[in-house]
Amino acid sequence: MIPHFFKDIITRLEQGIYPHIIILAHMVLGTALVYTSPRSNLAFLVLITSFFTLYYFKTDRRFKLIVGAVLTLFIFPVVGVRNIFYLEVIFQISVFAALALGLNIVVGFAGLLDLGYVAFYAVGAYLWAFFGSQQFYVLPFAPGTQPSNLPFLLPGDAFYLFMFIAILIAAITGILLGTPVLRLRGDYLAIVTLGFGEVIRVLANNLDKPLNFTNGPQGITPIQRPTMPLAAVDGFNALFGGLVGHDVSPADMYNVMFYLLALGVIIVIVFVTRRLDDSKIGRAWTAIREDETAAIAMGVPLVRMKLAAFAVGASFAGVMGVLLAGSRTFISPESFSFMQSIGVLSMVILGGSGSIPGVILGAATVTILNLQVLQGLSLYLSQLRQSDAVIPIINFAWANLSNQLDPAKYQRLLFGLILILMMIFRPEGLIPSQRRKRELAHDEDDNGK
Amino acid sequence: MALLETTNVVKKFGGLIAVNRVSFQLDAGRIISIIGPNGAGKTTFFNTLTGIYHPEEGRIIFNGKSLHKLRPDQIASRGISRTFQNIRLFGNMSVIENILVGMHVHLKQSPIDTLFHLPFFKKEEKESERKALELMTYVGLKGVGNELARNLPYGGQRRLEIARALAAAPLMLLLDEPAAGMNPQETEDIIRLFRRIRDEKGITILLIEHDMRVVMNISEWICVMDHGEKIAEGTPQEIRSDSRVIEAYLGRGAVAGQHEEKIA
Amino acid sequence: MKRFLKSINIPELIRPLGQLVFFSLGTTIVLSAIVLVFALILDRTVVGQTLFERLNVSLFTYTLINLPQVAIDGLTIGFVYAAIALGYTMVYGVLEFINFAHSEIFAVGAFVGVEILIALDRFGILAGASLVMAYVYLILAIVGGMLAAGGLAVAVERVAYRPLRHASRLVPLISAIGVSFLLQDAIRLVESLTTGQFNRIFPTFGNFDRRVILGKMALGTTNITLGVSIKSIIVIVSAVLMLVALNYLVNATKVGKAIRAVAQDHPTASLMGIDVNRIISLTFLVGGMLGGAAGVLYALKFTRIDAFVGFFPGLKAFTAAVLGGIGNMTGALLGGIVLGMLETYAGSYMGVFTMGAAGTEYKDIFAFSILILVLIFRPQGLMGANVAQKA
Repeated sequence: MIPHFFKDIITRLEQGIYPHIIILAHMVLGTALVYTSPRSNLAFLVLITSFFTLYYFKTDRRFKLIVGAVLTLFIFPVVGVRNIFYLEVIFQISVFAALALGLNIVVGFAGLLDLGYVAFYAVGAYLWAFFGSQQFYVLPFAPGTQPSNLPFLLPGDAFYLFMFIAILIAAITGILLGTPVLRLRGDYLAIVTLGFGEVIRVLANNLDKPLNFTNGPQGITPIQRPTMPLAAVDGFNALFGGLVGHDVSPADMYNVMFYLLALGVIIVIVFVTRRLDDSKIGRAWTAIREDETAAIAMGVPLVRMKLAAFAVGASFAGVMGVLLAGSRTFISPESFSFMQSIGVLSMVILGGSGSIPGVILGAATVTILNLQVLQGLSLYLSQLRQSDAVIPIINFAWANLSNQLDPAKYQRLLFGLILILMMIFRPEGLIPSQRRKRELAHDEDDNGK
Repeated sequence: MALLETTNVVKKFGGLIAVNRVSFQLDAGRIISIIGPNGAGKTTFFNTLTGIYHPEEGRIIFNGKSLHKLRPDQIASRGISRTFQNIRLFGNMSVIENILVGMHVHLKQSPIDTLFHLPFFKKEEKESERKALELMTYVGLKGVGNELARNLPYGGQRRLEIARALAAAPLMLLLDEPAAGMNPQETEDIIRLFRRIRDEKGITILLIEHDMRVVMNISEWICVMDHGEKIAEGTPQEIRSDSRVIEAYLGRGAVAGQHEEKIA
Repeated sequence: MKRFLKSINIPELIRPLGQLVFFSLGTTIVLSAIVLVFALILDRTVVGQTLFERLNVSLFTYTLINLPQVAIDGLTIGFVYAAIALGYTMVYGVLEFINFAHSEIFAVGAFVGVEILIALDRFGILAGASLVMAYVYLILAIVGGMLAAGGLAVAVERVAYRPLRHASRLVPLISAIGVSFLLQDAIRLVESLTTGQFNRIFPTFGNFDRRVILGKMALGTTNITLGVSIKSIIVIVSAVLMLVALNYLVNATKVGKAIRAVAQDHPTASLMGIDVNRIISLTFLVGGMLGGAAGVLYALKFTRIDAFVGFFPGLKAFTAAVLGGIGNMTGALLGGIVLGMLETYAGSYMGVFTMGAAGTEYKDIFAFSILILVLIFRPQGLMGANVAQKA
């Protein structure tokens, strides 16, 4: 399809020093654009797509790591505190990337369609919401009737401990929920996990009596933030204050910290996922996905392996739940709806189930579509409504457009479209997963016969 | 002592009796065939041996221990390995990974070893990779370790399935129509491979086969099934002249090309 | 005329009626008995005392007074579930695939029916309608809902499922989830562009809200009134008519034979000269029409609908289909009735029996628990369809 002329250029660009130059140029260009016009969505897109360039072009590992670290640890925080909306976008991308990577283990590797994944997210979130707030002392009071001077149960330091406790609790929840149902065939399992997701949400909504565990639909607030060393704010200001242009408040610094925490979790997940994928456990998961009957005949214990996938996936969601509770300081059942589960699923499907870079790309794309494109459309529509513009042929004045039409609220449409289109046209996702190529010393003999 | 001994095994599906009181003995180190017309219950019998189905009645003793109520993976770890009538490879995994899955029951690496790539993990992975390559060579697959299994030609997929089954280092190998769809040359090669597996590795082989050239060529003992029952048993010479066998085949043998009962 | 009458297969008309009556009565009797036994036991405990202090009535009497109403409510919603469940079960029977979007097909049917009535109401037609015309308009709305839902179901199958028919099992399911989400927002989009309202209310007309008093019974100092709203009667009667018609279509006509043949085996059916694609479309059409009608009936009964109205009834109807034995039509009827009754009984009495600790709000969980229990202990369902062998 591509004319030879371009093909030649592309092949040449993929060789020698060029990839390094392209990657750096893209990164610098994006940074400069965002730096000069901090409100432009387009500039931000240019910056964030430099990750794609970094992934696409082949360079040496060390170069990639360094550029990736500069982007995530230096450029994003600085750009983020200059425009706090970007930081929110980056933070949400990280959170959803982590969730999608967790779900990817269940859906992508083991081939188990889990439609209630946010249940584990909720478990983590409510775990810290309960222990990191006044809720323990609210237990005897109906929602809204508690005295106002109740103390917090645990100090902010405990947050970090609870990130680890959440791994355990969420994994246990996963095993408890999974044990009775993992024997089921795939499509039944999907519906049952959906049911579990709803059960957890309904419980969160209603466990405000007889004892008030969850404060019902109103949710729990305030929730303790983790302690942040004061030196962090001063240090950041001393190092980057000049670049940012103003002194960063501790509140903004919190957001940077949560972003970095999420990033840390992602790194751990990627590490764990890759190690597991390339071992007995990962091979068993893939075998189960490919053919259950053959897998069990080869001695792979189905239920135990599926439980392991469920537990590992759940534990990551649990950690992210604690992180969410700490960063938002407010948790309500609404954050854990079926739609959230499908949102995470659409990220996995869009990017490519089983593929780590794919899933991260999927999470970034869906989040940006969600936060920037849909909301941008909303903004644009409301501007149109206030203008006296008219759609030419049908002679429809924008001012008459229903106020109820708010594209930002059409996430279901977005998720639905992604799922349908991907299934029909590209079920393997944008970046399909690839099996590792092994260096097989004895295997070269008559290659290419 | 017999390696495998079944006593009055019965398997029913609703009203249909697929396997009816089959008693059967198999000594270690032999090559034995089960033959019979389509729908005779051969594959169902295989599936009861490997735990995919649980028989309603009867006993199955393997290597001195009962296989009663064991799951397929537990039976696999007791030393029974199998191939499938309609090849069931892990299509999107590489050839070498397919074989490594076959070694699952023998790998001792723990999650901790795996996560931190402790020396034991590295050693075990390297060792199993070496064994897998050996097995590839053994069954006649070379230079395709990184290919996806589904991209192999038909004959290669059959061989890979055998290599995967051998990777479990079984005591007994169950082969479900291993020569189906092969040309005469390939068939001859694969017969030679089975002999070598038995002679060199000492693995007992039990196979279902329709191709009488294969059956008569390789079997030391033949067991004939029809309508779920064992109707005859003997050496190839005896079976060739058994009137009940001829009747079973000529009576219904004309109905060719029908699908066998499928598993799961 | 005579020949036409002769060609009707009378037993196939009577058999499902008999089944429906049997299932309804059976479930009512069993559940009522269970509830009453519970009430008797709990009457002596703190539960009974608390109730007595509050309402000055024993728990047993309280339970008994409410029973007839609960039974009729349960039956009404049970028939709605049964009508939706048939859509799941027919599609599953033919394609072995959970049509996740069926709940939105149901919602679209409800919306189209309600919008027709709202339009009629806006022109003042409903307000002055005679009783006969009121029923004509209601039937018009139901038929409108059926046609829209049936057409949509066929279109969805054509666009989103047919290209995936030979893919692995989860692929069409994921696509169906996508369709379900897409349709929810499509309903919202259309509503917000045209009416600007997300909640639509079933207009009040005719005599549907009246209650027919069937009888009174004195029980000590209190009176039990056995009454049923006309709405419920309409829902039950229409559902029964549809179920009987469907049963006739599938079991006593040539088309029905073709549907059953396709359900058994696609390649063989097509060798026999059956156009498999057409039969699958037809299955979606019929299932969709049933769902659409159920949607309008649901709106009639519960009055208020929004774009997400299909989600819970859809899930519960799926539960009903599994409970009865998915792929089995009689099973879907039984499952729908049992589930609707169970849920209504639980919703009505759990609050009283647990002294308010867990009540109606757990009604939805209740259905899921049943789904999970059935799948674990009796995956073939109550009627034991032949799914296990097909899988």
